[in-house]
Amino acid sequence: MHPPALTALIDALRVLPGVGPKSAARMAYHLLQRDRGGAARLAAGLTAALERLRPCERCNNYSETPICELCANPRRYPHQLCVVEMPVDLNRMEETHIYQGLYFVLMGRLSPLDGIGPREIGLDRLVRRAQDGVTGEVILATNFTVEGEATAHYLGELLKGKGLRVSRIARGLPAGGELEHVDGLTIAQAYADRRTV
Amino acid sequence: MSERIDHQPGFILHARPWRETSLIVEVFTAGHGRLGLVARGARRPQSSLKARLLPFQPMALSWFGKGGLRTLHDAEWLGGQPMPQGTALMCGFYLNELLLRLLPTDDPHEVLYDLYQSTLLALAGGPVGDAAVDPQPALRRFELGLLSELGYAQTLDRLADGEAVRPEGRYRYVFGEGVLPAEAGTPHYSGGMLLDMAAGRWDNPETRSEAKQFMRALIQHYLNDKPLLTRQLLRDLHAL
Repeated sequence: MHPPALTALIDALRVLPGVGPKSAARMAYHLLQRDRGGAARLAAGLTAALERLRPCERCNNYSETPICELCANPRRYPHQLCVVEMPVDLNRMEETHIYQGLYFVLMGRLSPLDGIGPREIGLDRLVRRAQDGVTGEVILATNFTVEGEATAHYLGELLKGKGLRVSRIARGLPAGGELEHVDGLTIAQAYADRRTV
Repeated sequence: MSERIDHQPGFILHARPWRETSLIVEVFTAGHGRLGLVARGARRPQSSLKARLLPFQPMALSWFGKGGLRTLHDAEWLGGQPMPQGTALMCGFYLNELLLRLLPTDDPHEVLYDLYQSTLLALAGGPVGDAAVDPQPALRRFELGLLSELGYAQTLDRLADGEAVRPEGRYRYVFGEGVLPAEAGTPHYSGGMLLDMAAGRWDNPETRSEAKQFMRALIQHYLNDKPLLTRQLLRDLHAL
């Protein structure tokens, strides 16, 4: 039997996705035996993050200030608003260094069969955000899963109804992709989404 | 008895997380009906299986194991069916929810499988993906077909006592009895709509809108009046 504090730590580590009882025990022993400094940083980091991080009033991403650095940056182009599902998706867009507009992070997606609807994700906040009078184009960059597609469809209908211009990121072959090595469904959808040249 | 099934035509209805890295995939197959399969490791980042487990696409599924949860070991995309977009996609979720809620597992329903496949194709606008088709007739045909496969076949062109339904008459529907003459204070339907539905005629817009209300009441009854999540989602979205 573990001492109560160790049991509590192992249980706590299991909140992480993909971590079961065995991995949690291995992590706990590692932190206690080999990296007590790291364990202290982890504890302090978690406490600070929970205390200081709040959703940004404009983009819904995590921020230490009411309006995050990105939204407050005057060099960003304020007429474009890119909608992504999660903060990791925002980071991927940023890594391209191509997009200069602003963002809205849904922190999820509509998932009809799991009962995740507009109330569970920030759809009403996005609708208000997009109607700030400055946004000229909303770019839907949700995933190309069926849930991401359903989310994009509804956001598109909703925002077009409010008189906004809405676009969806393109889907097709990956950069450098060769038909020979790409899966059939990707080719089928690239065909469906073909454009006139 | 352990079984091993290879390349069974089927559709993914829904996938939900299971344990640390796996998915439980609800599938509807041609020869084995609805069943739950575990896709082991499908949530690991390097797994190629998850991206292939797309609903609304015909697959060749291979699994092994026995009893309740079997293990999915391959899902091969077969193609030939455009991915439903927009409204058709939402209708697809509705079909899947009906199957998940009403169809018992491990019960082959080949006729219903063919109907499901042709309904998806009709919703997506046929093999070339011609959008802007009205999904309502395809949905009604599927609802009627589903109920009749489940043993709740509906007689719509005759009254309970065998008398023929008249196009200009007004009728009500009583579970266990069938079509009866309308009575004040209960929901009633036109004879024309009932006859159109029985004959599969959908060109009259009044038939389409009245049939929707009629089938909604019927489906709700067989769902024991528990609300459909896909319908609730549409309501919430319209409220925004």
